[in-house]
Amino acid sequence: MIVMDPPDKRGLLRSRRYGEGFVEALLFFAAITSILAMVLIFYFLTYESFLAFREVGVLEMLLGQKWHPPGDIYGMMPIIVGSVLITTLALFINILVGIPLAIYLSELAGPWSREFLKPAIELLAGVPSIVYGFLGVLVLVVYLERSFNMLTGRSILAGAILLGIMFIPALTTICEDALRAVPKEFKEGSLALGATRWQTIRGVTLPAASSGIIAAVILNVGRIIGETMAALLVVGNVARLPSPVFDAFDRGAIFTSVIAGEMGEVAHGSLHYHSLFAVGFVLLVIVTILNISADQIRVAIRKKFGGY
Amino acid sequence: MKKIRPAPMASIAIALFLLISSLYYLLVEAEEITVVPFWIGGLLASLLLISASAVTLNREADDRTRVSWTAERLLPLAADLAYFLAVPLLVSSGRVAPDLKFVFLGLSAVFTYDLVLPLLVLVGSILVIKDSINLLYGYTARGREVLVFSMVRLSAVFTLLLLGGIISVILYKGIGAMSWEFLTSPHLRLGQQGGIRTCIEGTFWLVMGAMLISAPLGVGAAIYLNEYSKNSGLKRVVTIAVGCLNGVPSVVYGLFGLAFLVSTVGISLLAGSIILGLMNLPTIILTSQEALKSVPNSLREGSVALGASRWQTVRKVVIPSALPGVLTGMIIGVARAAGETAPIMWTAVTFSATPIHLYYGFIPDVTQPVNNLCYHLLNLIYFLGAWDVEQNAWGTALVLLALVLSINMVAILVRNHYRKKVSW
Repeated sequence: MIVMDPPDKRGLLRSRRYGEGFVEALLFFAAITSILAMVLIFYFLTYESFLAFREVGVLEMLLGQKWHPPGDIYGMMPIIVGSVLITTLALFINILVGIPLAIYLSELAGPWSREFLKPAIELLAGVPSIVYGFLGVLVLVVYLERSFNMLTGRSILAGAILLGIMFIPALTTICEDALRAVPKEFKEGSLALGATRWQTIRGVTLPAASSGIIAAVILNVGRIIGETMAALLVVGNVARLPSPVFDAFDRGAIFTSVIAGEMGEVAHGSLHYHSLFAVGFVLLVIVTILNISADQIRVAIRKKFGGY
Repeated sequence: MKKIRPAPMASIAIALFLLISSLYYLLVEAEEITVVPFWIGGLLASLLLISASAVTLNREADDRTRVSWTAERLLPLAADLAYFLAVPLLVSSGRVAPDLKFVFLGLSAVFTYDLVLPLLVLVGSILVIKDSINLLYGYTARGREVLVFSMVRLSAVFTLLLLGGIISVILYKGIGAMSWEFLTSPHLRLGQQGGIRTCIEGTFWLVMGAMLISAPLGVGAAIYLNEYSKNSGLKRVVTIAVGCLNGVPSVVYGLFGLAFLVSTVGISLLAGSIILGLMNLPTIILTSQEALKSVPNSLREGSVALGASRWQTVRKVVIPSALPGVLTGMIIGVARAAGETAPIMWTAVTFSATPIHLYYGFIPDVTQPVNNLCYHLLNLIYFLGAWDVEQNAWGTALVLLALVLSINMVAILVRNHYRKKVSW
């Protein structure tokens, strides 16, 4: 950022200065658009869900055990339980595959395989979610139905597997960047002390990159909770508490699938309509908290351990 | 000198057979399992081989110190050996027999023989590999490294096969639907016949509209933040807002559009463009900022020293140097806008949209709804059980995937090309 205001006292450059001011004003407007957009999104979601929260009651809405639109009963507990189950399982798959893959790319892969693998993985991060959903319906759901003898393969498990696989590239790319940002001297120092490569990775590289990795994982939690089309098509969309609560083989519903599945056929302005906005509002709050905390955690860990 | 130990090598070979065959029966073939005797034999053979090499192993891998069989080494090994014995016993005693139906904890799944046996063998094969590597390399840091690295490599191979499989399945199934007519005719009879012309056009116009909104705003914001803003408070707030906007779930954008735009501009191309444009804004701001940051200050100082004003410096020096990075961000934005369904499903698209009206042949009527590839595919998925649309659905998925992947590929190529070429 260089401060540069040319001495402009002769009046010759006045018109140019007005032009400069105009451009700066335009750019300033562009810069505050994202603040404006965020405020508008929060405003409209709060405004539209206010009626539902008032009608149903905040606590009943958040903790209610039943989501039954035909009877105008709107309790989000089944949706919250479904989301927690899906997110936990999906994150498990995601981390189990994504982080080893990042370690492979940054530490083990030769130059040739990295040249090829890194773009391939970045490319896969762009596969549209509806395509994953389509494959989920025609391949994964059919497979689960057959091998677990389920009534229907559309289940929380199907959603978790699909979302877990879907966000492997996103996790791997960020983790790999974090691992690669660790200075070479750290690793060389460790290797020079006689540590094996794995001891170096575990004892030096991973801790040094931990702030980036943890932030990546938290961001991925947000992505998994917020993913819509793939989840909508495979979770079965039955907002009912599974029994037992951890029954991932049952059909379920998550925030996004309820909104996307039911919004198409509600009457504009009905209690159901406003309740779906309330679901969206809760989702928005959760995801925003996750995003801000990912940022804060990254800063905090970096301060504490001096990570990269 | 390293002694060759044939026994652990042989057990690794057996374990690889067990691994591949059990994965095959687990994932592909659900019919009758024909290799059960081989599995039992393989597990028993590795039981023998591993115990034999454990007994004869008397020195560590570096051939200097004696092996000390501490409890923390012996107990896992003993447990693994018990497992290799238990699986054949379970099968031969008929507890794991073809009529097995196993339900537990009230889960709504039935664990059958076809699932349980390959799973047991799969776990066994991984244990065999673990023990064999430990015996080959000794219980040293080196042994642990080989073990962990082989698991890491295995997970890399697994991911690649999986992700490669996704693409090849779509390519294989979708190629049958491809024809010139499919691409150039509108869909008929709920997508059972005809093609996807209106969807391709709709996707094109939505992406164009989104970029028209997000590109100037996004690049402008990045320029302001990086080149103009002296106010670090404002910068911090904008950065947080961009971060949050980036994380807002796509379905929430849809809700926002429904509440904010549909009442004023109706379900239309305009509403969809605004929503997709807002959704793309953070991507473009972040990538443009990255690109602007990488332009060295010496270039700006040189321009200022020649008497250029700030905007002249930005326009003539900074933007041209940062262009590849900015372009990459925009191309990624295009791909994202083309592949999103949830933000537009209530604001811009209808399944039965007619081809869009063009004023003077090139200005679209923005108040009309359109159809796009994603929404078309969603509808075809809903119709799957009822109508014969599967072929066209695969075709649509292939076109969508090819479109998005090739746009992303261009972005990656542009970035890599300039990353190699430009060095400050």
